[in-house]
Amino acid sequence: MIQQYVLATVAGSAVTALLALAAHKLQSARLIARLRAEAQASADTLKAEQSDRAEAIREPEQAAQHLEALAAQLRDELAQQSASADELRAALKAATDDKDQWAGQAQRIAGEAARLKHLGATFERWHEQMISLMTQNHDMHAKNQELSSIVRHVVIVSLNASIEAARAGPAGRGFAVVASEVRALAARSEELSKSYRDSLHRNDLTITSTFQDIQAGGKMIAASLASVESLANRFSSTLH
Amino acid sequence: MITAQARDSFERIFRKAAQARLPIEPGDTCEIAPVGAGDATRTDAMKGAQVVVLTISSIVFRLLLILHFDENDATRGYYLKDDVERPFQEVFLEICNLCCGAMNQELLRYFPDLGMSTPYVLSAHCLPYLRELNPDFVSAYSVTLNGSMQLAATICVCADAPVDFVADTSAMEETSGELELF
Amino acid sequence: MSKILVVDDSSTVRDEVAGFLKKNGLDADTAVDGKDGLAKLKASPGIKLVISDVNMPNMDGLTMVEKIRGELANKTVNVIMLTTESSPAMKERGKAAGVKGWIVKPFKGDAVLETFRKLAS
Repeated sequence: MIQQYVLATVAGSAVTALLALAAHKLQSARLIARLRAEAQASADTLKAEQSDRAEAIREPEQAAQHLEALAAQLRDELAQQSASADELRAALKAATDDKDQWAGQAQRIAGEAARLKHLGATFERWHEQMISLMTQNHDMHAKNQELSSIVRHVVIVSLNASIEAARAGPAGRGFAVVASEVRALAARSEELSKSYRDSLHRNDLTITSTFQDIQAGGKMIAASLASVESLANRFSSTLH
Repeated sequence: MITAQARDSFERIFRKAAQARLPIEPGDTCEIAPVGAGDATRTDAMKGAQVVVLTISSIVFRLLLILHFDENDATRGYYLKDDVERPFQEVFLEICNLCCGAMNQELLRYFPDLGMSTPYVLSAHCLPYLRELNPDFVSAYSVTLNGSMQLAATICVCADAPVDFVADTSAMEETSGELELF
Repeated sequence: MSKILVVDDSSTVRDEVAGFLKKNGLDADTAVDGKDGLAKLKASPGIKLVISDVNMPNMDGLTMVEKIRGELANKTVNVIMLTTESSPAMKERGKAAGVKGWIVKPFKGDAVLETFRKLAS
């Protein structure tokens, strides 16, 4: 009985082993086939990759050529731009030099305008001289008035003298002559005084109008100069 | 040398300034009538024993504004009102100054460089010598304020170069009195 | 001590402006021309505001302002011109000299009172 069992077991195991072996062999074959297929696929892939790579290598080559051409172009352009930049730099330097020159000139203009403003002092001097002239004229008016009144008084005195002389009769004839001479003199003085007065009035107008012209003209010039000075200063500051 | 339209402009500017500044009360009337050209320098034709003289100077011309007045009770009464203690001449000089100032402001619109003098009082006897200034334009007017207050005015312009402009006196600008801050 | 100085050769204007200021509680000194104005300003350092005419004998208003800023070296006092002049060139000269404001005559007190008060404080 045990022998049968052992035999069965051995047989079973042998069958199992054989089956396993068969299966194993089958599996191996399948594995091998698969491996072979995989290897083939890999080989194919590698081949494909190789050709791709070849192409891929061609692309950068082309690109490199392309880039070289571009680089050449850029070099040319750069050379051109460089030349333009040099020109611009030269122009900018010239403009800056000009600007410095203009700024300098603007400052000088502002300086001159400021200096000319002191012309105001000259006008003040003329102004004072004119006032002194006008005062003198005024004084002369007064003196002439005085002279006029003295002359009138002399005329009256001489008239009275003539009357007295007439009263004195023949004894007063000499005196009458003197009195009439005095009256004639007084009349001439009065004429002179009147003409002097007219001259004074003429002077009044000329002096006053000249004085006022200087005063008004001076203000106009001072105001214009101030405007020039402020313009020049503004210009000068924009250039800096 | 002074064109007809410039003369007309000077006259209109004077009239506008006189009407605005000569009356002491804003509501008073101001009648301005021209006096014949030949009479402009005759002292008897022009009312006033004294004159106030002002000058406006520009680069090409100078203008003299001469206001004739009599310092009598009527004039003092009109300008000093009840306050007869105030010095009449100072008050009147200021009025003349304002009148000339108004002309100055108007002329500035056409002549950017102008200067104005201070006023000065002279005897009217100096007027006949106005011709010695060689004026290119002289025009005289009688001015009646409030129906009874009599003044007279003479405008005299001497030009060194041709003067031509047209004044627009239509604008009623009252820009005086306002403070312009810088 | 007055804080305001009114400079004008016309007593009419001096009385008008100073009178108006006094009526509104602001004390004001007066001067008759540029020279007088300079002297009065030098003597009263408390003055904060100068109201001045341009056209005056002896020394005009703008020359006075230039001397205030120059010889007197006073850069702080406020100056307002009250004048018949209105030319842009003259206003330029004023601005350059350090003038704070410009009023064309005739004087209208109410319009400028508050500004005067501020400038004088």
